[in-house]
Amino acid sequence: MNTLRHLIPVALLSLSVAAVAQSNAHHPADQPAPSDAQKSFTELKTLSGSWLGPVKVDPPMPEMGNKPTRITLRVTSRGNALVHEMKEDGAPEDPTKYDDPITMLYLENDKLFLTHYCDAGNRPRMLAKPSPDGKTIDFDFVDLSGSTKYGHMMHARFTVIDANHHLEDWTYMMPGDKPIHAHFDLQRAQ
Amino acid sequence: MDREWNDNQPIYRQLRDRVVAMILDGVLKEGDPLPSVRNVAAESRVNPLTVLKGYQQLVDEGLVETRRGRGMFVNAGARNLLLQGERQKFLEEEWPRIHATIQRLGLKANDLLDTGAPPAQPSKEDR
Repeated sequence: MNTLRHLIPVALLSLSVAAVAQSNAHHPADQPAPSDAQKSFTELKTLSGSWLGPVKVDPPMPEMGNKPTRITLRVTSRGNALVHEMKEDGAPEDPTKYDDPITMLYLENDKLFLTHYCDAGNRPRMLAKPSPDGKTIDFDFVDLSGSTKYGHMMHARFTVIDANHHLEDWTYMMPGDKPIHAHFDLQRAQ
Repeated sequence: MDREWNDNQPIYRQLRDRVVAMILDGVLKEGDPLPSVRNVAAESRVNPLTVLKGYQQLVDEGLVETRRGRGMFVNAGARNLLLQGERQKFLEEEWPRIHATIQRLGLKANDLLDTGAPPAQPSKEDR
């Protein structure tokens, strides 16, 4: 009888732990299901790291693919932002000279935005469309600060192939609305 | 191409202006290939996509053409096209101000011609 008296609390405790664990697995404590924007942002965060790959441009320029471009993605600000940087692989660090663009991706009012800090001197903002497959995330131009005199970035697309492979497509609109399209095929760098 | 930039306009636009100066000075002649995007990017320490934007601007202006698989080349008539543009720009933007100054000072054509202005420098192409 004594043994039974000791076993009952242990059994009850085990049952309650199991119940809580099960509850957390299926219904995260009072949290609504993540929105499309949150899911897309989470997917993009999985791209954190360093990437290398060739770029193809349209209008075509064959030599562009000769040397890989290095793209780095970094989660920062306690997970509130993702920093994207693009530069030619092997280019020496020179903070006073470089024109390499930076893009910040972030959630705002449950929408996924990116702001591109362009060497053309402006900062276009783009909004992510809901992703049908969760793997291809399109950003459409919303507005920009700065001048449009010298053109601006117009569209971006991230396509996640797998953990070590993704594609990026960037479209720059030259003055006169003539687009330049750059397609990056990127493998995770060691 | 040296790699000093000003902050007044984007680097791609300054690269475009440097190629224009090379065409006007006869350093780049009609039919000549433009320096490769990668070389300019490496020498000027800028992103290759920036160079590409500068070159694409020249294509859009009809000054250079893309030959599939070979690169970009200075178009026939590019220098004349540029001279026309530069002359037009001078007449529309600079001449009115200079003309107003001449009028204000009461200068005559002979005064201007007799000032011993330095002779015009012939371009390399004209030599």
